Amino acid sequence: MKKLLFFSGPISTYAGCPILAPSFWRKGGKPQNYVVAGSIVALLLACLSVSLFAQDAANKVIAISGARLLTVSHGVIENGVLVMADGKIAAIGEAGKVTIPKGAQIIDAHGMTVYPGLIDPETNFGLTEIESDQNSNDLAEPSDEIMPHMHVADAFHAETELIPVARLNGITNAVVAPASDDTIAGQDIFIQLAGADRDAMILGRDVALAMNYGADQRRRGGRAGGKAEFPSTRMGLITQLRQTFLDVQDYMAHRDAAAKKDDKPDTAKDAKPDAKKDDKIFKRDLKLEALIPYLKGERPVVIGVYEGYDIETIMALAQEFHLKVILNHVTHSQEILDKIAAYKVPVIVGSIYDFPRANERFDAVYTLPAELAKRGVKIAISSADAGGPVSSHSSRNLPYAAGFAVAYGLPYDEALKAITLNVAEMFGFSDQLGSLDVGKTANVVIANGDPLDVRTDVKQVYIQGVPVPMVTRQTQLRDEYSK
Amino acid sequence: MYTFEPLRPGAPPLPQRANCVTGVIATAFVCAALSGSAYAQQTPPPDIVFKNATVMTASHGTIEHGAVWVHAGKIAGVGASVNAPAGTAVVDATGLWLTPGIIDPHSHSALDSDVNEATSPVTPSMHMIDAFDNRDKALYHALAGGVTTELLLHGSANMIGGQAVVIKNKVGLDRDAMLFPNAPGSIKFASGENPKRVYGGRNQLPSTRMGNFEVMRQAFEDAKNYMATLDAYNAKVAKGDKDAIPPKRDLKLEALADVLRGKLYVQIHCYRADEFLTEEAIAHEYGYKIRAFHHALEMYKVADKIAPEQTAIATFTDWWGFKDEAWDAIPWNAVMSMRKGVRVALKSDSNDHIRRLNQEAGKMVHYGGATEDEAIRMVTLNPAWIIGVDQQTGSIDVGKDADLVLWNKDPLSTYARAQKVYIDGDLFFDSSLPGLGTPHFSGVMHGDNEAGSDDEEDGQ
Repeated sequence: MKKLLFFSGPISTYAGCPILAPSFWRKGGKPQNYVVAGSIVALLLACLSVSLFAQDAANKVIAISGARLLTVSHGVIENGVLVMADGKIAAIGEAGKVTIPKGAQIIDAHGMTVYPGLIDPETNFGLTEIESDQNSNDLAEPSDEIMPHMHVADAFHAETELIPVARLNGITNAVVAPASDDTIAGQDIFIQLAGADRDAMILGRDVALAMNYGADQRRRGGRAGGKAEFPSTRMGLITQLRQTFLDVQDYMAHRDAAAKKDDKPDTAKDAKPDAKKDDKIFKRDLKLEALIPYLKGERPVVIGVYEGYDIETIMALAQEFHLKVILNHVTHSQEILDKIAAYKVPVIVGSIYDFPRANERFDAVYTLPAELAKRGVKIAISSADAGGPVSSHSSRNLPYAAGFAVAYGLPYDEALKAITLNVAEMFGFSDQLGSLDVGKTANVVIANGDPLDVRTDVKQVYIQGVPVPMVTRQTQLRDEYSK
Repeated sequence: MYTFEPLRPGAPPLPQRANCVTGVIATAFVCAALSGSAYAQQTPPPDIVFKNATVMTASHGTIEHGAVWVHAGKIAGVGASVNAPAGTAVVDATGLWLTPGIIDPHSHSALDSDVNEATSPVTPSMHMIDAFDNRDKALYHALAGGVTTELLLHGSANMIGGQAVVIKNKVGLDRDAMLFPNAPGSIKFASGENPKRVYGGRNQLPSTRMGNFEVMRQAFEDAKNYMATLDAYNAKVAKGDKDAIPPKRDLKLEALADVLRGKLYVQIHCYRADEFLTEEAIAHEYGYKIRAFHHALEMYKVADKIAPEQTAIATFTDWWGFKDEAWDAIPWNAVMSMRKGVRVALKSDSNDHIRRLNQEAGKMVHYGGATEDEAIRMVTLNPAWIIGVDQQTGSIDVGKDADLVLWNKDPLSTYARAQKVYIDGDLFFDSSLPGLGTPHFSGVMHGDNEAGSDDEEDGQ
């Protein structure tokens, strides 16, 4: 059994290593084909721990042995074994009860904690690089309030530096959403934080509709030379949304009617070969068309909303049109928590660091995840700071937000679920992600302790069963100046 | 030498204001709520002995099952046991942690939106105390996070900004009772993107880093001329010239002269490695010392050059990428710089992060392997040094102010909550109390300026 050097090494363990571009994933062929990437992995691992297991590195089968396994779905396994093969979790259980396939590379992870890759339910990955540099931002299209035809997939910059930085702390998947300028800002993608290219990293396009409702979406000043435009009030916002949804229903009816005409056998064809099939050609409307799956309730609508009374308003509209809602933020909703529970919708809580209103107790928001979970609400926690940089840069702090919720009463298991399995369930990926279960994608993290504690150091991240280089531009700078 | 009396000395403190205005019912009501202010000045809080705590002293390690004796607002004993008189009130701290109060050397809390006088790149005669709103909710939030002392700084719009105010976070007392007694004065400088953006955006000088530093040099040249004028006047007086006319008093130049005289600690907002070197060169050229670089995200690149200057840093732990000059930020900066001999403090620059600076310290265990002792020092004793109050607070040592926080868990973990916060031995926050948990405050708070950050409030 081989012990990985990096488990005990100082931060400069890698200092003597030639820098291997973290982008090797994008040069290594298709993501499923690790044989192609294997030699690069072997080179990297040889560099990290001399030649200890270089000969094994190309093996497809890896067994992590002796660690404390936080399965998320079925409790904690002390001294467990997890086997990864062909990008999936092949086996998991107590040491001695799991057969490790012959030839598997065995990682001795005694003293380590192993858990599923964390999933950040709201980021701007690939839509921003440097917050203050507009040229690097594709965050939102504020020219209109109703922009469902904005597809995050079209702007997603897979090579962003933000992704490896988050990955280094155990984030393996994320939802990427546009910024919150518009009531309907666009459609989200669900990504994996490594892959050969953009298409390999996007696990799902248009997985959810990003909606927002509240004071921030009103068109007041700032835009259009400082003068207010419609909709400048909440009345305007809601009326505009309702009209839009009615327009979509009307559009669907006409589209369906046009399709029926198309389907009819063209009996007049022989008699009048050049005659028009219809009174007019059906013209597609991309904006309205984009909303159809959401009005049919086929995909979730993530509604960013903070204040209790705003939640009541937007939920009434959502129920009117039978939207499949995921509430987001809800940080100033303490007075309607029972009502939120009664909606029976999942909630992304946060930022947990959002500020209480004046004269509220200091922990009014810190306790929100616990209060919602107590009422049976399925919660996710996002990485956003309050008053700090955009969430994407601090996505690496996602586990600490969950840990802080524990400090203020959320049961530990619920906190871990809120950044793994619950997120996967909300966005339709729980058959692949979110827990350590046989058959799921082998997105697995090895850390030297409790994942939710700020003091814990992530030692290795596996995505689709392959060890990701624990290298970022930031570690490169660290190592360069540590010489 | 002739000098004017400082207008806003850190020491002695400003004259105490009347606590309450009479004749207005609403005010009188608030006065009742704030009646602690009178008491705080008059009556020392009762003595306390903390027993069986994990005492993180910040100066001499951690004492398991330790005791701390607070007498007349000061720390009178610390160790495995203390010699407190029989009958002293005992706080059984079994299973709890006791640390010095958290100190934030870079805050813009409680200044409404008056963080920057961004109408000129040189505004050294601005005094942050004039904007200090002691009812801002941010102070309460910070207190609940264990923060007992803050340096409230001018923003970073100007190359030479205003003069800071040092407060003790005595939420509920009147404004003047929250001022840190005998704290030295600090002045805020800034360089880099913010000044050039603010003034460049108006097609004014400075719009480049060249312009930035030239504005500074010119300011000090003006100050030198001003001082020479004063010297000439003094010389005339010394020769018995009774007709000598004193030079016109100029608040701006007077403040700059105080920098050159070494009367103000210079606190510089600065990100890039090259700018640390330029700032030190200018400081040498004009003969002042730089107390600390704030933000200092690239210090890890030149720490060996800065360490001999004895300039400290007050840095973020892991903020990055919010602007170009934060692109090379790495979370190992603090520990790497510390290992090269630079005194390192962590700071918030944020009404958000100020509430959990203890966690920011905990991250230093993760990013670079700081010891727990080193980590806790980064949010206590080291920021106290940057502010210049390390003789009064920042560690649990006999004779120091009893600024203490009792935590339910290891304060360097994600899970710690401040249970009780004492300032000068008096209990200002107690999470077990209903409502706000503030024994001295039950009034109405303000709070519109939520972010409380340099870059959010650069005066544009």
